Amino acid sequence: MNWEIANKNFYRQGLRAFLNVLVTALSIIALIFMLSLLNGFQAQATRNLVSTDVGGGHYRVPGFDILTPTEWEDFTMPVPEVLSGLAKKDKAEVLVQQGQLYPNRRLFPVQLRGIEMDQSLLHLPLAGLKFYEDKPGGEIPAVVGVKMARKAHLKKGDTVVLKWRDKGGAVDARDVLIVDVGDINNPRIDDGVVWLRLDHLRLMTDREGEVSWVAVREYLGLVNGFEFHGIDLLMSDLLALLRQDRINSKILWGILMVLVCTSVFNTQILNIFKRQKEIGTLMALGMEPGRIVRIFTLEGVLAALWALVLAIFLGVPFFIWFQGVGFDVSHLSEASFPIRETIYPDYQPREILVSVFIVLALMIAAAWVPVKKIIRLDPTLALRGRAIT
Amino acid sequence: MSETLITLERVCKVYQVGEENFTALNDVSLEVGKGAFMSFVGPSGSGKTTLLNLIGGLDRPTTGNVLFQGANLENMSRDQLATYRRENIGFIFQTYNLLPVYSVYENILFPLILNGLKESHVRKRVEEMVAKVGLMDQINKKPAQLSGGQSQRVAIARALVKDPLLILADEPTANLDSENSRQILELMWELNREYKAAVIFSTHDEKVTRYIRREVRLEDGRVSWDKRRNGTEAEP
Repeated sequence: MNWEIANKNFYRQGLRAFLNVLVTALSIIALIFMLSLLNGFQAQATRNLVSTDVGGGHYRVPGFDILTPTEWEDFTMPVPEVLSGLAKKDKAEVLVQQGQLYPNRRLFPVQLRGIEMDQSLLHLPLAGLKFYEDKPGGEIPAVVGVKMARKAHLKKGDTVVLKWRDKGGAVDARDVLIVDVGDINNPRIDDGVVWLRLDHLRLMTDREGEVSWVAVREYLGLVNGFEFHGIDLLMSDLLALLRQDRINSKILWGILMVLVCTSVFNTQILNIFKRQKEIGTLMALGMEPGRIVRIFTLEGVLAALWALVLAIFLGVPFFIWFQGVGFDVSHLSEASFPIRETIYPDYQPREILVSVFIVLALMIAAAWVPVKKIIRLDPTLALRGRAIT
Repeated sequence: MSETLITLERVCKVYQVGEENFTALNDVSLEVGKGAFMSFVGPSGSGKTTLLNLIGGLDRPTTGNVLFQGANLENMSRDQLATYRRENIGFIFQTYNLLPVYSVYENILFPLILNGLKESHVRKRVEEMVAKVGLMDQINKKPAQLSGGQSQRVAIARALVKDPLLILADEPTANLDSENSRQILELMWELNREYKAAVIFSTHDEKVTRYIRREVRLEDGRVSWDKRRNGTEAEP
């Protein structure tokens, strides 16, 4: 019978009940949306780094350190057969050397990065280099990223002087033609990097068949003369950043939860507050205090269930739609995260379940606590609407 | 006097208002018999409503005892007091206190449902009560659709439907115009005769006093006057 009374009370409240349910449902949707967008942002940053640079890991020349440019020339080696024999979709040979650009007569130290043109492991906007001969003619074709182009004041079609050292230590200089300014969404391989064909860079530096590393799709076991750097090692800086970001996102989640819970609690309390006299009347009519609490808690449960249903009804189509269109962040600066395109939310079931559970539990608690408090007081206070003020 | 229904023994009720103590009732003793039709009269703040609340088990005295057919309400738990109210007392409030989401029919039905009766068994009884208070044409309306007089009639029917031994009516005519007040009082007077439930009003409405058989006047929380009319009934 409690269920029947609660049912009747809840459904007959009409608009008030609906608004209560709607506020909670929208809060749940907003919470899931924010969390999933944040997850999507982080997942995409990781994915971008993998797809543009890291792959499944690097077989590197031992001692090579990307943060020590002065030693790059000392750590190149011919590619062992076990790596060179891999399919083009499974490996990308990379040679990294120092260079100096002189745009507008200014010195601009750069990283010259040569990569195979027919590899398909890493996704880079280097199509502009593909159609050049394997030996550079008068000008060396190169691609730079948007950020690099902005910093060096370069644009497509510009010619700029490039200096480098070959294997023998001799300094060479040639004009470089910027054939394209590529939208590279990974700042690590944009800022200060000049992209060249691998065969060109090898010829320029007299390092035929040599590489600094070979990016591979997956670990292939020990390779003689090379050392393997896994994804975790190669992305340690980003992962550390994400870990910090996780802490920040936990704080953000906490703030969001507080906002959502305040909203839900406020709506529920207001609802109970307006019904104090009704509670007093039920007491005067002889309903046992425990039963009143059960009925109002059941109403809270009903509201929570409907909030869940409404959140699913409104949220699922929205989330599916948003998964399709994403959130355009192309306007963002190329700061520290390797992301600058459209973010797609990443829905984490556990996170969603925990958040929804907390909101719904709070909704029920917000129905239970004030009624519990009211029935502990004299019915006369409830009848006068002064049990909770 | 007929068989005693309610006995008040030296009842005091003190409220704490801020840091001050306010004595609402001071050493009140009286008896109410079965089938009584009486009122507590007095100015605002004289303790009328407090006395009704103590008799109805909605509040407890600071000192003294309230006995219902010899049973001391002070010794009852909250659940026992709820049972006492559910089985024995009908309340009529100044502001009607109808359940807003229920229809006239459902409001009157509610006390019977609380007593564990099935709707199918008591439908006729509820409809009889609706007819008695003259609201058959409003039976499916919600309280918000009723006038003050109509709402108070529903409250009367709700109080009477479970055949209580005692009806406590707190200023039942305070929110009504004189014509509606007259109708409500006549209705209660007739129902008191028919159903034999004792009725205690709290009121400062002079019109009420024309209908009652006993008038207890309260001043500053004390009984200053307990006047009984001659005979067993007083015709209005």
